[in-house]
Amino acid sequence: MPDFSLTPEQESLRDLARKFARTEMAPHAAECDRVSRFPEEIYRKAFDLGLLNLNVPAEYGGSGLGLFDQCLMVEELAYGCGGMTTTVIAHCLAVEPILLAGTPEQKERLLKPFCAEYHLASFALTEPSGGSDPGSMRTLARKEGDDYVLSGEKCFISNAPQASLFVVFANTDPSLRHKGVTAFVVPRSAKGVSVGPDDEKMGHRASSTATIRLDDVRVPASDRLGAEGTGFSLAMRTLDQTRTPIGALATGIAQAALDHAASYSLKRETFGKPISEHQAIQIKLANMAQAVHAARLLTWHAAWLIDRGQKGTLESSIAKCFASDAAFDVADEAIQTFGGYGYMREYPVEKLLRDAKLTQIYEGANEIQRIVIARELLRGYG
Amino acid sequence: MEIVVCVKPVPDAETRLRVAPDGTTLDIEAVKFVLTGYDESAVEQALLLKEATPGSKVHVVSAGPPPRAEEALRASLALGCDLATWVETPPGVSPDPLSAARALARAISTIPHDLVLCGKNAGDDEAGVVAGALAELLGVPDHSAVLDLRWDAASSRLRFQRSTEAGMEKWEAPLPCVVALQQAWNDPRTAKLPAILKSRRSPIAKVASEPIASTAGTTRPTKFELPPPRTGAKLIEFKTPEEAAQKLVKVLKEEAKVFP
Amino acid sequence: MTSPTLVVGELHEGVLSDSTKEAVSVAQSVSGKENVVGFLAGSSPRGPAAGFGRCGVAKAFVAEDPRLDGAVAAVVAHLVASAADSLGAELVIVGGSVFGRDLVARLGTRWNAAVATGVTSLTRTGATLEARRPVFGGRATETRQLQGPHVAIALRPHASAAPPESPGDVALTAVPVDGVPASFWVPKRLGTEVVARGAGPGLTDASIIVSGGRGVRAAENFRLIDELAASLGAAVGASRAVTDAGWRPENYQVGQTGKQVSPQLYIAVGISGAIQHLMGMISSRVIVAINSDATAPIFKVADYGIVGDLFQVVPALTQEVKRARGQ
Repeated sequence: MPDFSLTPEQESLRDLARKFARTEMAPHAAECDRVSRFPEEIYRKAFDLGLLNLNVPAEYGGSGLGLFDQCLMVEELAYGCGGMTTTVIAHCLAVEPILLAGTPEQKERLLKPFCAEYHLASFALTEPSGGSDPGSMRTLARKEGDDYVLSGEKCFISNAPQASLFVVFANTDPSLRHKGVTAFVVPRSAKGVSVGPDDEKMGHRASSTATIRLDDVRVPASDRLGAEGTGFSLAMRTLDQTRTPIGALATGIAQAALDHAASYSLKRETFGKPISEHQAIQIKLANMAQAVHAARLLTWHAAWLIDRGQKGTLESSIAKCFASDAAFDVADEAIQTFGGYGYMREYPVEKLLRDAKLTQIYEGANEIQRIVIARELLRGYG
Repeated sequence: MEIVVCVKPVPDAETRLRVAPDGTTLDIEAVKFVLTGYDESAVEQALLLKEATPGSKVHVVSAGPPPRAEEALRASLALGCDLATWVETPPGVSPDPLSAARALARAISTIPHDLVLCGKNAGDDEAGVVAGALAELLGVPDHSAVLDLRWDAASSRLRFQRSTEAGMEKWEAPLPCVVALQQAWNDPRTAKLPAILKSRRSPIAKVASEPIASTAGTTRPTKFELPPPRTGAKLIEFKTPEEAAQKLVKVLKEEAKVFP
Repeated sequence: MTSPTLVVGELHEGVLSDSTKEAVSVAQSVSGKENVVGFLAGSSPRGPAAGFGRCGVAKAFVAEDPRLDGAVAAVVAHLVASAADSLGAELVIVGGSVFGRDLVARLGTRWNAAVATGVTSLTRTGATLEARRPVFGGRATETRQLQGPHVAIALRPHASAAPPESPGDVALTAVPVDGVPASFWVPKRLGTEVVARGAGPGLTDASIIVSGGRGVRAAENFRLIDELAASLGAAVGASRAVTDAGWRPENYQVGQTGKQVSPQLYIAVGISGAIQHLMGMISSRVIVAINSDATAPIFKVADYGIVGDLFQVVPALTQEVKRARGQ
């Protein structure tokens, strides 16, 4: 039988993330959301405590946590602020291809600086031409001797305005379509790299995203990750790893929404009693609680499988898809529980809905997740 | 300087207290244990002194049951303590303060100790006697209610203040001694993730807990009571601040009988 | 036949402290007036020791030595132990104070005694003593039985009343100041700063406390708290938010990591009532809360509350208090 209890080590990790979320992140979440501020001082503190490079192995100076432990922490951080947590996991997302496909020399050269000093990285896959259809990308990498010359545009890239390193996917042979996609690491300082202004987003406003332009950016072969043409598969393998923590992030947002709604319902009185005693609210809260519990357990199970070396594509897609939909629904019902007050920016719940929405879109839109789930599922019946 | 800091794990401050139906015991099982508030400050003080005095080491000690005492030690190691020693006592209940002091003294007398730091009292039984008892057993003076502790290497003296009924006393004292710290840090350090992971694997020395010698005096709790639930404030109705003031003074005089 | 009970005294501003008198009262009720013996150590203890007589204590030990003013508790514990042994005392009671707790810790250990501190009530049934004391930050009260050849008790401040004073003599016996380990004499008290607090008494000693919290909004507004406290003859306290903000020094802080107080009357102004603060004052006898937020948790634990603007209510209250006290 599986054991659902946490080890003392896991409790310590979770407590660390919880403390950071409640004392450092949450007090500033509303203000950063209101004015769309990237709180670098909070991210630096996260770095100091070892919360930034969760997936980087200890030999390079990272925390080297398994996926389950990462998810435990990501949920706690997201409870504090979804946007700030996105900054952290977008960084982990960028680092992941280096872990999966980097040579020992590349890992040493690229990962150590991130663990030694506060730096952010960005994962640059999405283009205006398609996010769900990365095979159609238009960013090209023209081979010139031992170098590649990259040109193109990537959009909605998290951490782009602050990142010192980009992991860029470009096509070295468009005739092969997605089989021509290749992964590169591009330092911000490289000639031809420009980052556009911060996007004005609906939510996750403490995280910054922007468009990156690459104008004939010269990249040496030593900065290519994996062989030519393996980029698409690398991107997919990367997302296989990072999909589950999104489930955890969504669960954190959902839990926060549930907590707000439940405690409000005990204090707010209408018709002579706390609204928690009205059946309409009780049913809402019950539905919300079911969704939160299920989201967490699906996420835990997917993470547990992946930590055991399984691919876990089906389970991680289910976790991400379910948890993000759940976060949106729970946040929606939380606003409804607050009634008119829930609609006011002054109260914390409407932000949760705006933050939940993105979890249904990024790191693999839920439509794509469903297609993946169906495909994986039907495999078992074929 | 060889600094020893004593820590006691206590139920988290937010724990709901429940009294057993027969009223004789407090139900504190299945509850989260943390370093008691003043001990957290003592660890922070120990680490600050270590950082200010090159060549110093901090050795954290706890006398208590598994797993909470071990967790308290690992949490202290994660904060930066160098060594840890555990006097393991029977599971389920924390030892009473004097037994704990005896166990701690046994452990401390086997390790180098110039300064022994304790918190002023623990958040559960609040006896506040361990520091004094420990000092008596170690044969050294103890200083309580201490704030603003510093080591003056030039004069080889500890310098500190004590917050007493007389006011703020300024003191200087030599080592060795035991200090019960009243200091609360506004921003004690947080253990970093790599340190937390490392502390899980750190060795913890163990000292056998001898069966408690039949003490001349025994004490045991026989009853626990929770205060009658406070039903909430009687709100004073008023139209003007002056009316509020008049009504409050009247009720304090006549009903509560606490007006000076 | 009850054996002698020793009450160890301490001085406050040159005379026996209130905590000592409270200890005498408890000792008398538990052991019978005739069995209570006092103890006082100091550079000139004889004069102040007369205070024992006025409390109905007929005999007292005095330890006299210039070094005893500003000596550590370890020194006094040593001398008390000798005196108690020579007296055949089984019970030592000390008043609620920093010194009292220290003394009981050392003495109790030396004697292998049954020990209880922070005691709010003490009763005797035959050979067993029963002590009640608050635990868990005042959120529960435990009753503890103490048995044995020796029992050492430190009281909680203000838990009992001092005995009514009347003229009476006390026979003083000098105890030799010797046998104290040399190292115990070395720690030195360099001075005492009486904490500036207007007209009011020290925080842990005070029977009335007025505390200000974040609702006071700025350092310069804190004078409203000072003025109300002065009108009541009260001590001034502060919540952690106030000391964190630097509006008042840390020693004003009432709370889990500040001072735990148990006054007769605690007035919380602009304090929301976070658990950290409650743990410092929940055992106050009467709690009054003044806050503009009707949902503030403090109103759940207060006995009386005023939901209003403190900037109007507090000055009005100060005026009314002055009028009521004929100032």
